Amino acid sequence: MLRGMIDRFVGRGDAAVTVPPMDGALRPNQKLEEAHVAIEAGAPDNLVLRRGDVLFSSGRDLRRLDTGAVVRNFDRPIACVAAAADGRLAVGLTGAEVVIVDPDGMVASLPIAHTGCATALAFLGDALIVCRGSARYAADQWKRDLMETGAGGPGTGSVVLMPRGGAPRVIADQLRWPFGALAVNGHIVVSESWAHRLLLLDPHGSSPPRPVLFDLPGYPARLAAASDGAAWLTVFAPRSQLIEFVLREDGYRRRMMSEIDPDYWIAPALANGRSFLEPIQGGALKQMGVLKPWAPSRSYGLIIKLDDDFEPTLSLHSRADGSRHGTTSVLEHSATLFVASKGGDVVVAMPVEQLSEQ
Amino acid sequence: MSPLLEMRSITKEYRGVAAVEDVSFALETGEIHALVGENGAGKSTLTKIIAGAVTPTSGTMLLDGKPIVFAVPKDALHAGIAMVYQENSLVPALTVAQNIFLGRERFFNRMRGINIAAQQFLQSLNFGVDPTASVGSLGAAQRQMVEIARAVRQQARIIIFDEPTASLTPEEKFHFFGLMKRLKQSGVSIIFISHALEEALQNADRITVLRDGKHVLTDAAAKLDRTAVIRAMVGRNLSGEIYGVHAGSRAVRARGRKVLSVQNLSMGSLVRNTSFSVFAGQVTGMFGLIGSGRTETAKIIAGVLKRDMLHGGEVKLDGRPVRYRVPQPAVRDGIVYVTEDRKLEGFFETMSIGGNLNVSAMATKGGIFTLVNLAEMRRLAKKWIDAIKIRAINGDARVIELSGGNQQKLVIAKSLVQTPKLIIFDEPTRGVDVGAIAEIHQFINRLADEGLAVVVISSYLPEIMNLSDRILVTRQGRVVEEFTAREATEERIMYAAVH
Repeated sequence: MLRGMIDRFVGRGDAAVTVPPMDGALRPNQKLEEAHVAIEAGAPDNLVLRRGDVLFSSGRDLRRLDTGAVVRNFDRPIACVAAAADGRLAVGLTGAEVVIVDPDGMVASLPIAHTGCATALAFLGDALIVCRGSARYAADQWKRDLMETGAGGPGTGSVVLMPRGGAPRVIADQLRWPFGALAVNGHIVVSESWAHRLLLLDPHGSSPPRPVLFDLPGYPARLAAASDGAAWLTVFAPRSQLIEFVLREDGYRRRMMSEIDPDYWIAPALANGRSFLEPIQGGALKQMGVLKPWAPSRSYGLIIKLDDDFEPTLSLHSRADGSRHGTTSVLEHSATLFVASKGGDVVVAMPVEQLSEQ
Repeated sequence: MSPLLEMRSITKEYRGVAAVEDVSFALETGEIHALVGENGAGKSTLTKIIAGAVTPTSGTMLLDGKPIVFAVPKDALHAGIAMVYQENSLVPALTVAQNIFLGRERFFNRMRGINIAAQQFLQSLNFGVDPTASVGSLGAAQRQMVEIARAVRQQARIIIFDEPTASLTPEEKFHFFGLMKRLKQSGVSIIFISHALEEALQNADRITVLRDGKHVLTDAAAKLDRTAVIRAMVGRNLSGEIYGVHAGSRAVRARGRKVLSVQNLSMGSLVRNTSFSVFAGQVTGMFGLIGSGRTETAKIIAGVLKRDMLHGGEVKLDGRPVRYRVPQPAVRDGIVYVTEDRKLEGFFETMSIGGNLNVSAMATKGGIFTLVNLAEMRRLAKKWIDAIKIRAINGDARVIELSGGNQQKLVIAKSLVQTPKLIIFDEPTRGVDVGAIAEIHQFINRLADEGLAVVVISSYLPEIMNLSDRILVTRQGRVVEEFTAREATEERIMYAAVH
């Protein structure tokens, strides 16, 4: 306890208000800004590939990327989607359960006790992996969950494996907002947003979760398979010293949450610069009306390519002065990389072969 | 018309070994004469003979056509010959003004008057040094400026500069060479020793090359080029080995795992919220002007300096936060720092090579009851003399007897004895001849090839561009830009460093 107090006073250990640098493979560029627009849509989110068609979620709709046509409409906003090889779709609904849509259109609900607050879904063979961000809030309340959890608080998220026709099994719990899952070589890689890391989970539960990438400079979100590497990882917002500081100030956060509209909290965001009421836009690094690209903004767009050892090899950025922020989903298909910018209301596409390693 | 200074068949022997052998040299009035050669070629010995610090074994020296013998440096000074030594000869406890006027004080001195005179004099030379500051508090570059100012102040007819620009910034070098030309116009003759051959080729009227204590070549600088000078210096063509390969045209090593992560590191006004990473299997170059916080950052990482006590940021080694108050735990964790100031911080100059290596080895595995094993010490010395080609009689040779390049190799060997995983070279080839530069560069590359995380701090752009796989540019205490070796150009790096 004494050590904790001293650490807090001198700003070291867990109380160090520091942010990892974006350098090496994470060196900033403008590649997301330069990518061409595949489609403009309101808050496009989860990209999936079903039977050769790229689909994405946007509000309550599941839409085709090539035509923009609505494939299916749900009665609640879609939080996450996954497609199985046999054409089944798993759809997580905000504030409700996960539903399975058969290729013939039949809908079946999974128990909300095991699928509530689903933030990401993935199929492992016939089984469904469900990332449950929190046991307290719905998926769209992610900001509140982060502010309540703080910098070092225990998480309430979990990863549940739901075999087809079998009993659900929790393979990891007390996670800090798991927000992405990918099956890799019989294991499951999960992104833990508030802990800024990736965990490798054993679906059989025979070994404990193992961090494979940690100390990320942002909040990791969904993962997707890469054709020549291990995975693509999305990062939907950057870490900044101001937010890291706020996450260590419990009293300040409590008051902020009770008195201020969540859009104006000092917290990560999917987009910024939309209202003058937003706190300290871009760290106030706006000179002559121009926001500097290196400004410590609340939102960012970042896609990281990982190799077989989950080490970053290249990255695509939309910096503080850009607009393609809030990158929550990525998909590689037909030598093209699709990126959903939820904060930028756009899905962008770029040829994979032009993305050389840094 | 006879030359201002002429040396005929000068030989200087130490215990039967010739440091300078049968060298003839002439200096004309109002001439800038560059003296170049590898470390150990005899440049310093020759200039020390001119300055009266060393007495020749044989040969004659003529000043204004008349034979002259200097018993002590003061004789040379009275004859109008001043020397600015590579090793600092200032008194650290005195102020800049006191050092400039040292030896020329009046019986009663008014400090204010001395300070004003020193201020005016330094301004006339374009040297931004506070005359009231104590010399001990100055950095290497500013101390060098005071040394130069003192020599110019003595109104000598011949001024000898030994590596005058080694620690100056590009802007200070520009002013220095302007000063040299002004002195030349006023009739002063200048001998300057430099390992930066471009400086010699651009600024000298004539160049003399020495090799192994013997005269090899004297010719007009306009008739020579870099390749010809290097060939004369080392007897083979080294140009391509050192800086001939452009960064963009060579293979860049792949990045390994992240070994070091520096996050928001701060130390007063010298290091300001700087962040960067270092990866295994790569050379990470760090370029910046003097005062940009490179050395201080490296020293904080290695435990030589302390970061700010309150919210001074974090250093993570292999993902684990570390904070060193002294260098020993850093060394034990695998971080070593190869100092830029080898004479002050690099070794014990009166100890043997083996003794120095043993001291370093004890930092990693020694305890307070460790006994010095002489056989082990000699084995260590032999191993490293062979491994990095230190030219010495044997491991018992004292470091003071080695040339600058070999001293630098010893400093590197001292670090490698400690089996590091991260090695930081601060100005690894400062004051080192071209032959040793090539060997040191090869060695640094080999370390990165073997998987070590290597950081090279250098003020010399060709060196940074030739060695580095990625280049970090520092300005005002923080890393402001990163370039890959492929995209780096001198213009882009320099622009990031000054804007």
